[in-house]
Amino acid sequence: MTVAVTDFRELARDLLPQGASYEACIACGLCASGCPASGLFGMDPRRFIRMAALGLNEELSSTPWIWTCTQCKRCMYVCPMGIDASVLVGAARATWPMDKKPSGIVRSCQAQMRDDSTSAMGLRTEDFLEIIEETAEEIRDDDSRFAKLQIPIDKKNAQFIINQNSREPAVEPEELGPLWKIFDYVGADWTYSSKGWAAENFCMFTGDDDVWKSMVETRVDAINELKAKTWINTECGHSFYTMWKGIEKFGLEADFEAGNLISYYAQWIRQGKLPVNSDWNRDNLKFTVQDPCQLIRKSSGDPVADDLRFVAKILVGEDNFIDMQPCRSANYCCGGGGGFLQAGMTSERRAYGKRKYDQIITTKADYVLTPCHNCHSQMEDIGKFYGGDYKVVHFWTLICLSLGILGPNERKYLGPDLAGTGDE
Amino acid sequence: MKRGYRHIKTRLAVIGAGIAGFAASIFALEKAIPVVQLGHTGAIAYTTGYLDLFGVSEAGIIDDPWAGLEQLRRTEPEHPLSRLANEDILTAFEIFTTVLSKMGIGYTVPGSENLHGLLPAGLIKPTLSVPATMLSGIKAMRRNEKTLIIDFEGLAGFSALEFKANFAGKWDQISTHKMSFPGLPSGQAYAETMARAIEVADTRQQLAEKIIQAVNGEKYVGLPAMLGMHEPDEVHADLERLTGLEIFEIPTIPPAVPGIRLREMFERVLPARGLVLEPQLKVKHVDFADQKVHLFLSGPLEDLEVEAETVILATGRFLSGGLNAGRNGLDENLLDLHVSQPPTRNDWYRLDYMDRRGHAINRAGIETDIDMRPLDVNGRPYSDRLFAAGAILAHQDWVRQRCGAGLAIATAYQAVEAAGRFLHG
Amino acid sequence: MIRTVETQVLIIGAGVTGTGIMRDLALRGIKCLLIDRQDLNAGASGGNHGLLHSGGRYASSDTETAAECRHESDLLKRLAPQCIDDCGGMFVAVDGDDPEFAENFPEACAKAGIECESLSIAEAKSREPQLSDKVFAAYAIPDATVDPFRLTLENVNHSMQLNGSSFMPHMQLTGFEVAQGMIKYANVLDTRNNESIRIAAEQFVNAAGCWAMNIAQMAGCDDVSLVYSKGTLIVSNTRITSGVVNRLRPPGDGDILVPGGTVSLLGTSSLTIDDPDNIHPSIDEVDRILSEGEAMLPVLGSSRFIRAFCGVRPLIRSAGSASDGRKASRGFSLFDHEDQGLGNFVTIAGGKLTTFRLMAEKTGDLVAARLGNDKGCQTATVPLPSGGVVHWSEPGLAARNWCKKADPSDLILCECEMVPQSSVDEILLQAPGAEDHMSLKAIALRSRIGKGACQGAFCSMRVTSYLYDRGVYEDNEGMLMMRDFVNERFKGIRPVLWDRQIPQMELAETLHCGMTGLDLVNKKDEPS
Repeated sequence: MTVAVTDFRELARDLLPQGASYEACIACGLCASGCPASGLFGMDPRRFIRMAALGLNEELSSTPWIWTCTQCKRCMYVCPMGIDASVLVGAARATWPMDKKPSGIVRSCQAQMRDDSTSAMGLRTEDFLEIIEETAEEIRDDDSRFAKLQIPIDKKNAQFIINQNSREPAVEPEELGPLWKIFDYVGADWTYSSKGWAAENFCMFTGDDDVWKSMVETRVDAINELKAKTWINTECGHSFYTMWKGIEKFGLEADFEAGNLISYYAQWIRQGKLPVNSDWNRDNLKFTVQDPCQLIRKSSGDPVADDLRFVAKILVGEDNFIDMQPCRSANYCCGGGGGFLQAGMTSERRAYGKRKYDQIITTKADYVLTPCHNCHSQMEDIGKFYGGDYKVVHFWTLICLSLGILGPNERKYLGPDLAGTGDE
Repeated sequence: MKRGYRHIKTRLAVIGAGIAGFAASIFALEKAIPVVQLGHTGAIAYTTGYLDLFGVSEAGIIDDPWAGLEQLRRTEPEHPLSRLANEDILTAFEIFTTVLSKMGIGYTVPGSENLHGLLPAGLIKPTLSVPATMLSGIKAMRRNEKTLIIDFEGLAGFSALEFKANFAGKWDQISTHKMSFPGLPSGQAYAETMARAIEVADTRQQLAEKIIQAVNGEKYVGLPAMLGMHEPDEVHADLERLTGLEIFEIPTIPPAVPGIRLREMFERVLPARGLVLEPQLKVKHVDFADQKVHLFLSGPLEDLEVEAETVILATGRFLSGGLNAGRNGLDENLLDLHVSQPPTRNDWYRLDYMDRRGHAINRAGIETDIDMRPLDVNGRPYSDRLFAAGAILAHQDWVRQRCGAGLAIATAYQAVEAAGRFLHG
Repeated sequence: MIRTVETQVLIIGAGVTGTGIMRDLALRGIKCLLIDRQDLNAGASGGNHGLLHSGGRYASSDTETAAECRHESDLLKRLAPQCIDDCGGMFVAVDGDDPEFAENFPEACAKAGIECESLSIAEAKSREPQLSDKVFAAYAIPDATVDPFRLTLENVNHSMQLNGSSFMPHMQLTGFEVAQGMIKYANVLDTRNNESIRIAAEQFVNAAGCWAMNIAQMAGCDDVSLVYSKGTLIVSNTRITSGVVNRLRPPGDGDILVPGGTVSLLGTSSLTIDDPDNIHPSIDEVDRILSEGEAMLPVLGSSRFIRAFCGVRPLIRSAGSASDGRKASRGFSLFDHEDQGLGNFVTIAGGKLTTFRLMAEKTGDLVAARLGNDKGCQTATVPLPSGGVVHWSEPGLAARNWCKKADPSDLILCECEMVPQSSVDEILLQAPGAEDHMSLKAIALRSRIGKGACQGAFCSMRVTSYLYDRGVYEDNEGMLMMRDFVNERFKGIRPVLWDRQIPQMELAETLHCGMTGLDLVNKKDEPS
């Protein structure tokens, strides 16, 4: 393959902080040992660093490994010197010609560029609004408790502005309902925006900074305009990171703070606004939780991981919760991140995911809870591929289940064991 | 974007995430002192897993570390371990190993003699306490038992033949076997990957079958350290049950399991016991006000301020970032504390690497009073609220003297005791 | 009973000159035995910049040497391209340097026939972005770099192929047996097993570099008089410039930065010493080199250096050179020793890496004439073929090769330089000078093992384990060789221990002592 050759040493000089530059590498291999992408295409993070130091620019500019590194930053976490190999992986991605990059990632990014919806699934705003209204209408009709459910659009000065992952409106609108019901239940003051409403950003994964920036800009402008206080994503990992990181990296003016849905779940539970419990879990089904790298290690750290466990334990029962090991900030990426799920390298992605699969199987959990769509899809896929019989669910599903407000069509991720549970 | 701000009040802040830092947190929790621990990972990742107290002096290997320490008090009165009483050191060791065992990594009870811990290239290390998973190898060597040493394809740096060749004459009944680890693709294999994989019952079963096929009358089987990451004792017991053999681990060169295992256990268990742990961020700046110490950290999305009444500095040496070696001298990185050091760079290292007297730079570090309070150049405490522990301390050579864990544990104990007295005094 | 080995010509000293003579003679059909007290390039051939001089450095002071360099470097670029990185070079003057010296430089180059292109400051900085803002004059000249290890390995390999000439390392010369004005035997001791061996030859060539005076004296010749000039260099973790950067002033410390494939080498100091043995680079020298180097390239002040090393320049003593090695001639001398009463002994001394071929030619002419061989020198026309297991010393090659081969089962043993098992296998079986129970040091000499950031901390252990696995060692020999290797590496690491190399060293000591117990190993037995 012909790719423009980049001088990675030069790039590293610009991109990495002085104390944690590649010059600080002591070649110990903790990064490689702790990375699920190690071995794919003969590469690992240490090798990447050493090859940069050796000036093997052609090899680094053309290795497909950069599309299997999910940029989860676990290498940096375990490195005594704190060296971040993922930064150069991002830079390497940028150098690939568009037609050679994994087409799934490129297409997703291109879809985002089509209009100001920023939706990677190409869902136009008018369709989004229509689907919302139809779905809300169904809920109002089906459940008298939500007869007055309103989905605010472009409301000014709301406390929360929600960016919505496109997957729900595009392919499973019934999954929109649980989160709306939770907002309704706690009386949240929230809104969607009709511009830049989507919560995914594959343009970061293509390595194309300009487009990444423009996606973030569209969203930031929309939020600034609506003067919302706190910006929140639906249960989704990567777009949270791409948003705040983009704001910081590109020096954008953002008049709001970044919030985290999981922490708000925890807060509402503590405040008694979400009176959830585990009474529904009569069979003592076992649950584990996947910490999305983008949310925990790369963004908010252990405080949010703690919230995640607080919510999970209340929902499923303390004794029915088993952590994967390692977890929290040290957790392994599932292998769905970084655009890997969209990159089409299925066998590599599953090889990467074997570690996650082993982790899950060791917990003997019946369900994996995760607030991230990519984690969700990847863990379902490796579960099927390696023969595990666990299921993967969103938090909103269990919250609504516990509150007895989960509709019959909002149960697609629950197994037969919970098919009728909590359905009054 | 508006950055978040988190403020934590605590009685004790521990800076550093190595053995000394975690030991300090453990001792503080035992004394019910509210504690916050801060720091990115460092040299802890490179440990063998053995907890050494005092194993080697210039004269050679020490069998009785307690008598050795008595001797040390005469020859090296400034050594941090010389300034502590044997009883206190033993108490600290006992608390630490007991807590470790309760947390999930069983350790032997520290005794009156050093054990001869096995090393990967076939030599021994005099050490006080070893993980339960490594114990029967020590027994097997002492008794010259018929033993099978297994190494794995793809695991560079661990050779059963090397182990055997270098134990020859001392432990003759060793046979060797190389096998592939079940379920791993060919190519480079890491002990960490194996340790995680073997936590899956099926994988364990497959490995047990391979081991049974490989033994030929041996009762003992040695493996590179990979018997599980977070439940090593269970994995070990189960593998012994499945094979009917006495199985032991041998430490391996980095990237190795024992250090990762300890760190992950600390990170997993201590927060559940009440520790507030920030495992990713490094303390950027510390302010000593009159009544409080303010520590400042900055995360990706928020700034963190820790308001502490006392602080224990356990930031380690150069590898862990506690000390810095400039061309013109050694500095302490966080507070610019006075560093006791050789006069010039020329005095840092001897010409002969393996000189048994060790290198002067390794004895450089922070000097403290008996309460572990760092001293300034005039011998006065930097602050009544600041204590130091572990490898950052001056007048010791933990690598050569095989006293790293002992130094970390005993000085952390002393520092917590002193901080406790300050807090309650 | 002493074993006797016979050869047509015995060459003493396996540096670039000795191996060059070996090939020169082999091309004439003369069979040689090459011996060395240690191994290939153990002296100045392994302790230099690897700079293939365009001649620019000598242009202002010694037109003849400069012209010789230009001619020889042109030849080598053509005939041995596999050993050469034709990276180009420049001379730069910085504030404080003599502007007149700079002004006269093009003319001096012209006199010696060296291409010299005047560069604008902007041009110079675009070629080498790390250049100081204080540069006020810059000229491009055709400097290049040569891998001296590859060169000697290729020389030996080609000679072995040509006519079965051979190489024996670890042979310490203990004396000559002379009869009727002719040397009959050279007596040597195999330092690995203390076996005494007698070597019979028709002609004896002394190419022992800085030990040439001692060797000549052993044959009773007192006509060779050398000045020993110690030069120290430091190696950076990564390559800092794309080409050679020379300071445009009379030669001094720290005035040349030479790329070495994946790294850069800064040097050199010049210190006249009395004894060429037991030298090591000192911290003072390193500091001096570095502070001078920083004037040209400020980035050097914050660069990570992984190693220092030194060599001894064997310079021919001439009037006024006794106290200053830099003023001694960089030319070479050929001694036929006939006025010393010996008819079959030759000493070649002085000279430099760039002119090694010419030195070998002159020596070969004399030896061939004495043997009645009139085939003539062919090294100026016959290309040096690339063959055998000689390429693993090339920086980056093992890594590139591994990437291309994409065989995950070929485990990498040296992660810094990405040297895999298969390279070690090849070296063990086929490299020039390969032997049973090969030491880690000998393998490292023939590869990039131990030359990266960790300086052997990890790979020493991984390679040793691998060698045990392959059955190369069966007792604690491998462990002792590992210890010797890390001890040897340490001598070069010690002077550059500060900043980021200190954590690396701290980790190394933890591994070698705490994890392996090397500090407690005794020569023969178990830990005491």
